[in-house]
Amino acid sequence: MQDTMINSLTFSHYFFTGAVLFVLGMIGFITRRNMIVMFLCTEMMFQGVVVTLAAAAALHGNITGQTFIIFVLTIAAAEAALALGLVILLFRRRQTLDAGAWSELSG
Amino acid sequence: MNAQLVLYLASVSGAIALWLLMPRGRALPWWRSGLAAMIGVGALGAAWVAVGVRWWGEVDRVASDIGLLGAGYYYVFSGVAILSAVRVITHTKPVYSALWFVMVVVASSGLLVSLAAEFMAFAMLIIYGGAILVTYMFVIMLASQSSPEDVIEEQPEYDRASTEPVWAVVAGFVLLAALLSVGFDAPTANVKASAEEQEMSDAVLIETRLAGRLVVTEEDAARQALSSTPEVDATALSNSERLGMDLFEGHPLAIELAGVILLVALIGAVVIAKTKVPEEIARNAAFRGATPGAGGATVRPTEEAGPDSPEVLGSTRG
Repeated sequence: MQDTMINSLTFSHYFFTGAVLFVLGMIGFITRRNMIVMFLCTEMMFQGVVVTLAAAAALHGNITGQTFIIFVLTIAAAEAALALGLVILLFRRRQTLDAGAWSELSG
Repeated sequence: MNAQLVLYLASVSGAIALWLLMPRGRALPWWRSGLAAMIGVGALGAAWVAVGVRWWGEVDRVASDIGLLGAGYYYVFSGVAILSAVRVITHTKPVYSALWFVMVVVASSGLLVSLAAEFMAFAMLIIYGGAILVTYMFVIMLASQSSPEDVIEEQPEYDRASTEPVWAVVAGFVLLAALLSVGFDAPTANVKASAEEQEMSDAVLIETRLAGRLVVTEEDAARQALSSTPEVDATALSNSERLGMDLFEGHPLAIELAGVILLVALIGAVVIAKTKVPEEIARNAAFRGATPGAGGATVRPTEEAGPDSPEVLGSTRG
């Protein structure tokens, strides 16, 4: 029975890993106050999506899921460039990476 | 016991473990992190078993049937990915968070390899681990105040304390429980059938999309002569070939749009980087005015700013 259980690896396992990575990234984005780490957490949400896309591609035997990963990587690269530029700009104004220093933006 | 119930219980105990690990402004006592590690690993194992048991009896849904690597690889890579992800969001030093994120990238690349997506696995390693993470490290080193001590109280307050840990963990794991109960009912497709579909779709791909190219060139003839079984060769494309064909035959507009997005991001990054910051100009002027003194060069401009200057207000707020 134990053998069968170990061998019964399903695609649901991969979806589970993707969901956990996405949720951990989301929790990190909410709880961390360092702006750089917040954007690192969004990249971790992308990782969860990438694992899910690859698992769905393998499950359905459809390569388009893997093709979409390329576009996820494109958006991630564009986001990293812009977000890090903005973080540096904000750091130059207040000399801190604390997201709470800009809380007046929330109105 | 009902597998769904086990998944919910695993979500709750995972939430408790993560809440115990959240940074709170001072060093975690050893029993706290040990307890959290035990609860978290237990929850992860229970969730793995429960996810597998839900499809008990449906032998043809076993993923290893379609030639994936052994289940052991999945458990190793998935465990490393999830534990490293927990360290990313609980570590108080941003540099170490970024390094743990590299581990997440490596582990999920391993997962992609075990899903027979080799090209994307290597692309992820190169782009994420090689390019994006190096950019993050640069920015962390540019913008972080140095805190050489390992004493947690020496680190900036915004790094060692988290906002709303309880509500964030509750919201996150409610979402996870919902995903675990809803999302996994969708993949009911038969894996053996989908493996056949794969070969079918390859054959269709070759016939429809490569129809215009079926003119036998010298290269093709040479390749045919080299391969002993040309029929098998025609229906079993490699991962990169299949990916490239789908990308360039199926999504040409999307490639153009991705190029435009990258160009816009490039221009935007240059514009943001060249923006003049009034506070910085004022600070530099003050700095230059103060430097004639003997020790002026070693004093950092932040420390010279008056009590009512904007950056001091900013750092004390929140």
